[in-house]
Amino acid sequence: MKKRIVSILLATVLTASMMLGGCGGKDTSTQSEGETDAQEEASGDEDTSKEEASQGEESGEEEAAGTEEAAPPAVSHDTELTLEVYDVAANYQGIQTGWYGKILKDKFNIVLNIIAPQVSGDGEALYQTRTAAGNLGDIVLLDNADMLECVDVGLIADMSAEIKSYPNLMKYWEQIEKFNEGIGEGIWAIPTEMNTNGPTAYMGETVSSMPRIPWDFYSELGKPDLNNLDDLLKVLSDMQAAHPTNEAGDKAYGMTLWKDWDGTSIENVNQLTKWYGQEVNGSVLIGEDHSITPLTDKEGAYYKMLKFFFDANQLGLVDPDSATQDWNSACDKMKQKRTYLVWNNWMQGFTNSPETGEKGANYMGMPLADMKVFQTSDYYYGSGRVFGIGSQVSDENKARIMEFLDWLASPEGATVQHIGTEGIIYTVNDDGTYTLTEDGYNRFTSEILIPEDQGGGNWTDGNNQVNQWIVASVEINPVTGETYGSDLWASYQEKNNTKTTKEWREKYGAQNEVEYLKNNGMMEPVPSINMSLAIDTTDIGLIRSQCKTIVCDTSWKAIFAADEAAFDQLWDDMCLQLEGFGWNDLVAFDTEKFQPMLEARKATQ
Amino acid sequence: MFHKIDKKKWYSIKLFLFVLPFIALVLLFSYYPLYGWLYAFYDYRPPRPFSDAEFVGLKWFKSLVENPVKVAQLWQVLKNTFAMSGITLGTSWLPMFFAVFLNEIKCVPFRKFVQTVTTLPNFISWVLVYSVAFSLFNSTGMMNTLLLNLGLIKEPVLFLQSSEHVWLTQWLWLTWKNLGWAAIMYIAAISSIDDELFQAAKVDGATRMQMIRYITIPSLLPTFFVLLMMNIGNFLSNGMEQYYVFQNAFNKESIQVLDLYVYNLAMGSGSYSVSVALSMLKSVVSVILLVGANAVSKLTRGESFL
Repeated sequence: MKKRIVSILLATVLTASMMLGGCGGKDTSTQSEGETDAQEEASGDEDTSKEEASQGEESGEEEAAGTEEAAPPAVSHDTELTLEVYDVAANYQGIQTGWYGKILKDKFNIVLNIIAPQVSGDGEALYQTRTAAGNLGDIVLLDNADMLECVDVGLIADMSAEIKSYPNLMKYWEQIEKFNEGIGEGIWAIPTEMNTNGPTAYMGETVSSMPRIPWDFYSELGKPDLNNLDDLLKVLSDMQAAHPTNEAGDKAYGMTLWKDWDGTSIENVNQLTKWYGQEVNGSVLIGEDHSITPLTDKEGAYYKMLKFFFDANQLGLVDPDSATQDWNSACDKMKQKRTYLVWNNWMQGFTNSPETGEKGANYMGMPLADMKVFQTSDYYYGSGRVFGIGSQVSDENKARIMEFLDWLASPEGATVQHIGTEGIIYTVNDDGTYTLTEDGYNRFTSEILIPEDQGGGNWTDGNNQVNQWIVASVEINPVTGETYGSDLWASYQEKNNTKTTKEWREKYGAQNEVEYLKNNGMMEPVPSINMSLAIDTTDIGLIRSQCKTIVCDTSWKAIFAADEAAFDQLWDDMCLQLEGFGWNDLVAFDTEKFQPMLEARKATQ
Repeated sequence: MFHKIDKKKWYSIKLFLFVLPFIALVLLFSYYPLYGWLYAFYDYRPPRPFSDAEFVGLKWFKSLVENPVKVAQLWQVLKNTFAMSGITLGTSWLPMFFAVFLNEIKCVPFRKFVQTVTTLPNFISWVLVYSVAFSLFNSTGMMNTLLLNLGLIKEPVLFLQSSEHVWLTQWLWLTWKNLGWAAIMYIAAISSIDDELFQAAKVDGATRMQMIRYITIPSLLPTFFVLLMMNIGNFLSNGMEQYYVFQNAFNKESIQVLDLYVYNLAMGSGSYSVSVALSMLKSVVSVILLVGANAVSKLTRGESFL
C-alpha cells in the first residue's frame, strides 16, 4: 500500500513536470511573472506626462462651451458605459473613482477603466499581448510611433466622418490635420497638450529641467554663486552636512534616484542632460543647436551628467537605495524633504506652497553659470502622445466616446482636468477670473477631503487618473482670458510673491528663471514638433533592447563605482560591449529617424 | 466483428482508455506549443499579426552567435545556468538527509512543527520572498539597523546590490524555500520501508546510525536517483521567477540564467523570434542531457528510466 502511494506520488510529479516542462520550454512564455519592477519606458519628451502629477489644473462647471451648431449626433446616456482606457500616461490602474469619476458618471454615465502599462509591471509585454489579441482598449492613448503601428494593423477607428461635428476638437483642427497627414488617409488620432498660442511660444515661468534646491538651506550657506557642477556639489554636500536628516529625523540625501523610468538609458541622467543643451532620444543626443551625436559620446552630456552622479556618490550625496527603489518611494522622499536636489519643474510641486514660500523654504531653480538649457517650446502641435478610439468600438459607443473627448477639449472639461471643481479648488472672482482656494493651493502637498455628495475620498485619489490632456495648461481659457493652469493666474502670482521669490529675484535680477535664462543667453526654446517618426524594425528592436540593458546596467554601476578608474573602466567596457551588439547600427538608425524632426525645427525657427 | 475481439484485447483497450486523458493532456500542453517554434523562423513583431510576418530562415539563430561579444554574453548566461543548477543538483541529497533526520525525531509534536515550518515557505511566491528580503536587507532594513546599532559597521551594507557570491546566496534562498517541500517525497518513502527490516536490525543490535546507514538510506536511493534524473532533465530550466525578482543592475551578470535571458529578450523588446530560437536550443540541450543521464544510469546502476 505504502509503496503504491510513493509510486503514485512519483507518477504525479513526473506527469506534472513533463507538462510544465512542456509549457515552459518551448514557446514564448508570455506570462509576465513578478510584479516587482514597475517598468516604464521613459524617453524623450516625457517629462510633461509626469509633470501632470503635480502641476496646476483648473476647473469650471459653469460653461459647457457649446457651439452645438454643427450638431453632433444625439446620444443616449441611459445605460452605463464602461470604457477601457489603454493609457500610457497613467500612474494608476483600475476604475476612475472619486470626484472626477463622479463628474463623468453624472454627466455622461460613463465609467473609465484605466489600463496602465506603466503600473502593470511590464508595459511592453502588456502592449504586445493586447495588440496581438486585437483589442487594445476603447480609448487608446499611445506614443506617436505606436499609434502609427496600431492604425496600420487596423486596431484604431477612423473618426474623419464624425470629428467635424465636434466644435471643441475642431478648435485644434490645424494640429489634428497636420498630425494625421503623416498617417495617411483619414483622421485616426488626436494629439495631446495642444494650444493655440503659436508654434514657438514658451509661456511657462520654469524650464522643465534645471537644478532646484531648498532656498532656506541655500540661504544658510550664504547664497554662494554657482558657476558649475562642482559648485553645486559643494553646496549640496554642505547642506547634507548641516541637515543630515529631515525634521522628522529620517535620513536625508543630496539626491535620490529611481530606476523604474529607465528607457534606453537612465531617465534621471537623461533629464539632467538638458542642463547642458542636449536631450536624450533613444541612442542619440539631440542638441539645442540641432546637432545630433551618439549617447556614448564622451564629450556629450550623458557622460557628463553620469559623471556628476558618480562624483555626488563619491561625496556620499546619493541615496544608497537609488538603484533599487521605484518612483513612489523616491517621490515620498521628495515630499518629506529627504532629498535636496530635484530637477524637473513639477517636482517642486511636492514641497512648494505659499506658506513654505513665506518661510523662505521653497525649492528654487538655480542657474549654473555654465549651463545652456535645452527646452522645447510649448507643445503647439502636440506632445508626442495621441488619443485614438479602438476599431472594435460600436458606432453607438463611438459617438459617446467622441462626445466625451470633445468635452475633454472644452473649457469646462479642461478646467476640471487642469484645476478641479469650483468651490473646493477655486472660486470665481468678480471679473470672471479664478482664484485658488486654500485647499486649491495645497492640493498637491496635503490631503484635501472631498464632500460625500461630490464623490468623497481625497482630492488626489479622485483626480483625473488618465493623466494626459488634449488641451495644454498654457492654453488660454476663453471664459477667463487666463491660462487653464493656475501657475500663471494673476491671483496665483500675487499669492506666490513670497519671501522665497523676492529673495530669489533680488539675487538673480529677474522675475523668474525663464527670464533669467533668456536674458543671459542660457536658453532659447527649441520649437516643439509633433510628427510620427520611423518605427523600429525587428533587427533594430532587438539591438535596442540588448543595448538598453547594457547602458542602464552599466550606468547604475558607474554611479556607484568605487573610484574614478573603475568608472572609466565601466564606461569603456560598455562602449566595447555595445559595439558588439550593433550599437553603431542603432545610432545610424536613430540619426536618420530624427533628421526630419531636426529639419522641421530649423524650418520653424 | 466485435465478438471476435477477445478478452485480452478488450483489456488492453480498456487500459488505453484509462491513459487516454493523460495522453491528450500531454499532447495539448507539451506538443501543441511546439507549433510556436515556427516563430523562430519568421520576422515577427507585434502588433503586426503573425500571418504578415516574413520568413527569415535561420537568421535569428545566426544572430545569437554572430560576434564574440554576443557569444561571450551567451556563454556567461550558460555559465550562470550551469553553476546554479549545478549547485542545486550537487546538494540535492540535502532534502533526503533532512527527511532521514526529521524522521528520527521521536517527539511527534516537535517533528510536525519542524516539518510544517520548513514546508510553508514553498507556498510563498517569489515576489513576496523578495519583499521580505528587501525589508530585511535594504539600506535601512533590519539587518543594517542591527549592525549599525551594534557598531559593527559604519555605513549600511547594500546586501541586495552586491555582486559577490550571487550564486551562493541565490542557492540559500532557494534552499530555504524548497527544503521542506522536497523532503516530503522522502518522508513518504521512509514510511514505506518494511518495518521488519528495522526490527531485524534491532535484534541484531544495530545502533540508530547503523540503521540509517544500512537500511534507510539504501531504501531511499531509488527514489533519490529518479528525482536526480528528473532534475538533470530540467537542468537548464532552473526557473526564472526567483532570479527575475532578485535581479538588478549590479548582480545581473551573475544572476541572468537562460530562462531569465529569454524572458528579458522577449518581454523587454518584443524580440519574440530570437527568444523562441534561444529556447529551442535549450530544449535540444535538455533532451541531450536527459539521454546522457539515462545512459550513465544504465551503465552504473543497470537501470534506466526512459
